[in-house]
Amino acid sequence: MLDAKHGGATVASVRDLKVHFQSKRGVVHAVDGVSFDIRDGETLGLVGETGCGKSVTGRSFLRLLPVPPGILAGGSVMFNAHAVCTSCEGTGCETCEGTGRKASQDRSVNLLGIPSEDMRRIRGDRIAMIFQDPGKALNPTLPVGAQIAEVFLQHRTDELIALAGLPADTVGAVRRFASQSPRFGDGWLLSLPGVRAQRRRVEEALATMVAGALAETQVPNPAKLMARYPHELSGGMRQRVMIAQALACNPDLLIADEPTTALDVTVEARILELIRNLQQRRKTSVLYISHDLSLVRRISDRVAVMYAGRIVEIGTTAEVFANPRHPYTRGLMAAVPGADTPRGKLAAIRGTVPELVDPAAACRFCGRCPYETGACRNNDPFLEAITPSHLVACFIDHPAPSGERPSYDRATA
Amino acid sequence: MTVAVEPQADDLVLSVREVKKHYPIREGALQRVVGHVRAVDGVSFDIRRGETVGLVGESGCGKTTLGRVIAALADPTDGGVHYNMDGMMSRIDRLEGKAARTFRRNCQMVFQDSFASLNPRHLVIDLVGRPLKVYNEAVSADLVERVVELLEQVGLGRQHLYRYPHQFSGGQRQRISIARALALNPEIIVLDEPTSALDVSVQAQILNLLNDLQEERNLAYLFITHDLSVVRHMADRLVVMYLGKVAEAGETQAIFDSPHHPYTRELMSAKPDLEADANVEVRGLEGNVPDPARPPRGCRFHTRCELATPACGWEVDDVVRWLEDAPGMFEHLVGVERKTDFAATLAFDSEEAAGLLSMAVRSEQVPEAMRTAMRRLSLDGDKVEIEFEEVGEIESTVRGDGRVAACVLMPEEVASWKNM
Repeated sequence: MLDAKHGGATVASVRDLKVHFQSKRGVVHAVDGVSFDIRDGETLGLVGETGCGKSVTGRSFLRLLPVPPGILAGGSVMFNAHAVCTSCEGTGCETCEGTGRKASQDRSVNLLGIPSEDMRRIRGDRIAMIFQDPGKALNPTLPVGAQIAEVFLQHRTDELIALAGLPADTVGAVRRFASQSPRFGDGWLLSLPGVRAQRRRVEEALATMVAGALAETQVPNPAKLMARYPHELSGGMRQRVMIAQALACNPDLLIADEPTTALDVTVEARILELIRNLQQRRKTSVLYISHDLSLVRRISDRVAVMYAGRIVEIGTTAEVFANPRHPYTRGLMAAVPGADTPRGKLAAIRGTVPELVDPAAACRFCGRCPYETGACRNNDPFLEAITPSHLVACFIDHPAPSGERPSYDRATA
Repeated sequence: MTVAVEPQADDLVLSVREVKKHYPIREGALQRVVGHVRAVDGVSFDIRRGETVGLVGESGCGKTTLGRVIAALADPTDGGVHYNMDGMMSRIDRLEGKAARTFRRNCQMVFQDSFASLNPRHLVIDLVGRPLKVYNEAVSADLVERVVELLEQVGLGRQHLYRYPHQFSGGQRQRISIARALALNPEIIVLDEPTSALDVSVQAQILNLLNDLQEERNLAYLFITHDLSVVRHMADRLVVMYLGKVAEAGETQAIFDSPHHPYTRELMSAKPDLEADANVEVRGLEGNVPDPARPPRGCRFHTRCELATPACGWEVDDVVRWLEDAPGMFEHLVGVERKTDFAATLAFDSEEAAGLLSMAVRSEQVPEAMRTAMRRLSLDGDKVEIEFEEVGEIESTVRGDGRVAACVLMPEEVASWKNM
């Protein structure tokens, strides 16, 4: 429906995703019918204000939602994991941009429907996440090296054993050590002279892999950093550790949930550059969640604007920023203080974000929109294309069922 | 408004003079003072009636501490904030009795986190009415009316009187904070990141409100923020702080047109506008803010400055900092014997490591300015003796138009860099 005809494989497609939350006052429709695709190797920016459901959308990829009180009320998140490229058999060709891998439809799974065991295998390996506050997301009681090591222990046991120069059918206890699944008595087994040496080799291999992952994020002296605890690091450094952890297994899809909001502007620019470089080199798809428009414009190929649990506008970055069609997108852009805005004349969006308890079938921007008409209050607009790649959910660009049509010339503010 | 003209005494509201705020670092069982964190280290500027002064800088540069000193929530270690009390400039930490109360009612503060600054157990009427009660401005029915009046000024109403802070959204809570600050009709309000926790659309509402109130009441604002687009929109004059010192100060427009300090320029180019060309490459700053307990000598920014010259105050700490980041070097360092901050002997556990260091500091691995500033470098077994040119503190210089900048470079040299 959305953009299949534009060629390029999709790594994930969200269809009519509905995530609701049970609250005292009723069911909150936090995400209410969201559909979009993330193409292979692209960065999709997801912008919106606090409480519009962008983080919930991002977290639903990894099923990190608290259920209950959350309710997965419907829809699907299809994920097409990468497989060896069919046209070049992994040697790297044009269709897979030299990576030897590309998203494959036949490995498609619905992330909301698969068993937890399968989800565990995907989480951190094929889909990874960078959280907003690295101070909270990192474990304060473990050195950062040990936290990155967990990713390898969970998902890269075979490589680890191979790198340690051990045979694939090595001692069970060592294998269990390298996959973080100890059994009763393993401690004793691992202390036996011969096994202890093997275990040490696995540990050395692990340290090499962790240092390699950290070096990717351009930190000075990775070997020294590994032994540090999160509280000893600055905010920018912690965020680099989290990026190293997220990209350790070379995921197909990276969910970045406001990764620079807690950082200073000077550090933010560095982190952004880092994410972009790594993304371009590895052709990872990124879902970049942020409330900062200028930042999203710099990093994304396409942008989706969310409001009150819905996507109101989606298109290429150039289209959305050069020609915003939805009144909300326009409002957001006008609210950012620019060089020439006279003081005290910022175009604020009036009113506040509506509560999403049992919303009526109407445009959710009603009440705040300067252009609304009767049609907006009685009908629910849905995303419709105005150019092949630019979709807007507003009656301004496609008339309501009644034929009535608001226009930008007729502001009723 | 021209800044070059010597301000009239009655035009001034506050005058900040060489303010320092140092926090002691205590260690050991006896809590001996082993050093000081120099949060604010000699800052001067003026605030005039009806104007907005923006205070910007990275986190940890001391801007919030300075805000607290100005609002008399913390006493300065040295220097002072002078308040214009009926034409007399008096130091606020020496005010007593009635004079102190006069200052306190004329200088109010709005904090960043409205969750933390509004007591969750109090109703709006208590929160906003408290200053009126404390200063015996109003009681009972009159009090309610005054509070309603204040709430209406900030876009709230009578229906909000008997609610608790948690029942409001972030923007509304910030409005309550502003109403409380306005209650005693102050001359100056210190706004400490009032909008950084808010969404852009709500931020726009609050900024418009602040501007309307300023025009109505001729308020002076000290606007503390890290967001340059907000400060350019709001501030008449700007003070850019770095590690407790003023890097640059002057009229906002002039600073945005041509920054005289490389740090200002870095800040500005790190966050381009929505209108700016999206394809311009944006680079942030390398490295971290140095430890304010041991700020770098000379210019404090020289450790991260791309334009640093040999005259910027290179010192032994720069070599140690470089060693920390160099793989496999810091472990071999066994001792640093300092003669001064600019001369020291570094002892290593092997002759090889010492040799490596003396090679490295002669090579491209360290900035060229640092190599030029080095007066002596001698290798003696496993010891390396290093001596740098001694450089004093880089003082702020007045650049005309009331612009002040603390940089050894000429404005043209900063301007030609990065071709902004």
